[in-house]
Amino acid sequence: MEMLVKKRIKQVRKGDQNAFAEIVDIYQDKIYQLCYRMLGNAHEAEDIAQEAFIRAYVNIHTYDMSKKFSTWLYRIATNLSIDRIRKKKPDYYLDAEVSGTDGLTMYSQVAADVVLPEDELETVELQKTIQNEILKLPDKYRAVIVLKYIDELPLKEISDILDIPVGTVKTRIHRGREALRKQLRHL
Amino acid sequence: MSCSSEFVHLLHKYMDQELTTQEEEMVKDHLHSCQECYQHFHELEKTVALVQSTSHIEAPRNFTQSVMSNLPREKRTVSWNR
Repeated sequence: MEMLVKKRIKQVRKGDQNAFAEIVDIYQDKIYQLCYRMLGNAHEAEDIAQEAFIRAYVNIHTYDMSKKFSTWLYRIATNLSIDRIRKKKPDYYLDAEVSGTDGLTMYSQVAADVVLPEDELETVELQKTIQNEILKLPDKYRAVIVLKYIDELPLKEISDILDIPVGTVKTRIHRGREALRKQLRHL
Repeated sequence: MSCSSEFVHLLHKYMDQELTTQEEEMVKDHLHSCQECYQHFHELEKTVALVQSTSHIEAPRNFTQSVMSNLPREKRTVSWNR
């Protein structure tokens, strides 16, 4: 996969814009999911995920080919998501947290026009609750929890993406997990 | 061992498989004998399972197309001028 991606990057650098489409295809779900878990809103997630790919394209010459491309791309997406979280006004932030309707729409569009059986509805509700609790975490904890448990990335890669030492990643995982435990224990 | 925040720290290291064999034995022994710490550990495991259970989300349809149509045009201009 990395090999194919690097081949496409070389083509993009030579001016072949179309070669970038394959890169977007490969990483779109991962990047979109990362943004969605960080922002909790489908519209914003799409916006930021798109922005991440556009930035990657514009800055493709700054990417160091000796490193993993996905790490570089994740870093762009994570930084953009954190910037967006920090720019949100408090009232807007609360609004995004309480509504959560975007998430519902997105989950339910899978089964469009089909009446959801009760246990599926419960799953949707449970996932909304979990997502809302993740969104309550301060951004630095939220990022490590999402990267570790939802993207299932190794600690070293998380450390490269966030540009912080592995020890700091571990501390943040501990604290993030502890905070989530307090919020989710009664489920 | 007392059920201090120090033990909670060990619990997290246990979850991340970062303990020495000796420390691990100590943690397991304590979990067997202390209901409160066992409960704490159980809640942590449950938390992780819940977070991992959030289903994988896919990007919206036409995402790639939409990115491609929003890319800046410089590169194309370069090829036109060739």
